[in-house]
Amino acid sequence: MLCDSGMQKYEFLEHTADVTFKAYGRDLNELFENAAEALEDTMVLLNEIALNEILTIEVASDSYENLLYDWLSELLITFEVERFAVKKCFVRIVGFSLTAYCLGERLGPNRHKLNEEVKAVTYHNLAVTKNDVYHTEVTLDV
Amino acid sequence: MPFEELVKRGEYVWEVPEDAAPRMRVPGRIFLSEVLMKYLERGAIQQVANVATLPGIQKWSLAMPDVHTGYGFPIGGVAAFDVNEGVISPGGVGFDINCGTRLLVTTLFKEEIEPTINELTTALFDTIPSGLGSKGQLRLSEKELDGAFFGGAKWAVNQGYGNSADLKHCESNGCLDGADPTKVSPLAKKRGKPQLGSLGSGNHFLEIQYVDRIFDRTAADLFGLKEQQVAIMLHSGSRGAGHQICTDYLKMFQAASRKYSIELPDRQLACVPADSQEARDYFSAMAAAANYAWTNRQVMSYWVRDVLEQKFNTTVTLVYDVAHNIAKLEKHVIDGSRKEVYVHRKGATRAFDNDASYGIEQPVLIPGSMGTASYVLHGTKKAMSTSFGSTCHGAGRILSRKAARRSLTWKGVTEGLQRKHIALKTDDLSSVPEEAPEAYKPIDEVIDVVAKLGISEAVARLAPMGVIKG
Repeated sequence: MLCDSGMQKYEFLEHTADVTFKAYGRDLNELFENAAEALEDTMVLLNEIALNEILTIEVASDSYENLLYDWLSELLITFEVERFAVKKCFVRIVGFSLTAYCLGERLGPNRHKLNEEVKAVTYHNLAVTKNDVYHTEVTLDV
Repeated sequence: MPFEELVKRGEYVWEVPEDAAPRMRVPGRIFLSEVLMKYLERGAIQQVANVATLPGIQKWSLAMPDVHTGYGFPIGGVAAFDVNEGVISPGGVGFDINCGTRLLVTTLFKEEIEPTINELTTALFDTIPSGLGSKGQLRLSEKELDGAFFGGAKWAVNQGYGNSADLKHCESNGCLDGADPTKVSPLAKKRGKPQLGSLGSGNHFLEIQYVDRIFDRTAADLFGLKEQQVAIMLHSGSRGAGHQICTDYLKMFQAASRKYSIELPDRQLACVPADSQEARDYFSAMAAAANYAWTNRQVMSYWVRDVLEQKFNTTVTLVYDVAHNIAKLEKHVIDGSRKEVYVHRKGATRAFDNDASYGIEQPVLIPGSMGTASYVLHGTKKAMSTSFGSTCHGAGRILSRKAARRSLTWKGVTEGLQRKHIALKTDDLSSVPEEAPEAYKPIDEVIDVVAKLGISEAVARLAPMGVIKG
């Protein structure tokens, strides 16, 4: 999956039992946006999701890694409990707090193609690092 | 020998020496045959070594023959921790707390249901909610949900979803003591409430099987198993409730591990001292999730019985129900003295040498991959001294879900099942390749290793007739 700039947004790696992805971003906001898309992509066929509702999500934590874990966990709960799939989001991080405007739609019965049921986000090898760009590796329990 | 660090300690025992990785407190032990060795991943060895660094670990960090890379603990991992010096780690139980297997037998024989196997599979599929985001048919109040968290299968039986004989034939009688619903977050309750009585997705399944071979006639008679007899196997867990409880406590334990100065090679192994308040809180919440899972399997059994008893003149009896993702307070003989330990089984099954359910060794249920055999085994004395009374939990994955989807088609896998006259129902055909036999180790080889190693003995083999893939 590529950004408008041609940079890769995220890629899925091999993991025997679960799903591992790497996400990239020119800044932290973009990294968190792309990681969110990788998670949603794991759960639902994103092409079919309309942008007809907006939801605001706020999370605060004590490190970028924990903020990422909390952010992705919040999206997972939004998906499972609220049945809301996020196709596009705009993230703004200040300190270790995040505000996100999430665009997507509520899942209807038999209206959307679901992919994997994600049980949880794990802390396994979870790190937020920066070389040329920011990147992270996340393992999801499916 | 692809992994030079492994030292052979017996026909099926490979040791990860204490100096293989920094800060290991005990060696690792992986139980494998030469055949299964070729599936071993470096990641799994690393995870066995990582678990060996946790405080208070006893004797060995173990991996059963179905071992594969997980996160934190390997899948197939077993570790026992001292009640005073040791730790409790939510990652050593996993997100699907008390994911487990249940076996029911009918009074029917294979030939009686063969002509209508498709209809029967469809009827069960239509009755038992399964698949992605599946929800149960129960509409529970908060109080009823707390009842399930607190009482497990006992609560379900009290509500009319079964009988007291069912409880006798469950590990821990289908209810862990010490469950405290007040230690379960509102979010975990919110996730769990609509899902009670649902199978879930992924590798969760319901299978219509028949007993195709008996290895131990005495045990089979006691367990109520006869050749050609029709059985139902269920594989499911604690759904969103367990997933959220693990998520909540893992998050809490990130800071708590630092507070107790526990050095972690992987943050997923976050843990706290076993005698701390944090550990007691987690254990109470984990027990609640375990009880939710037993309730879940009990409620689904009620519907299985309902469908079978409506269609046929039969009675359906529970053979056994075992957990394979759980931490339990148990007594084991370690270096000559009997002591209390917290045994973590992550993708491993309890296999005790005695159990009140039948007055002999404990029944052990091992499902194979979709379309292959499943086994009933029993625990042994050797398991008590070799693996803290534990054995394998399944065939063990070898292909990632992604690789399975890439190399196999749902059409090919479905046709393969049809050739074997196995009916299949699922709400997601595209996920069928993920559970195909090619994605797993050969179950017969895994069973052969646990039997030859002596940590369980085979009682009967079951072959599939109809599969509901979650």
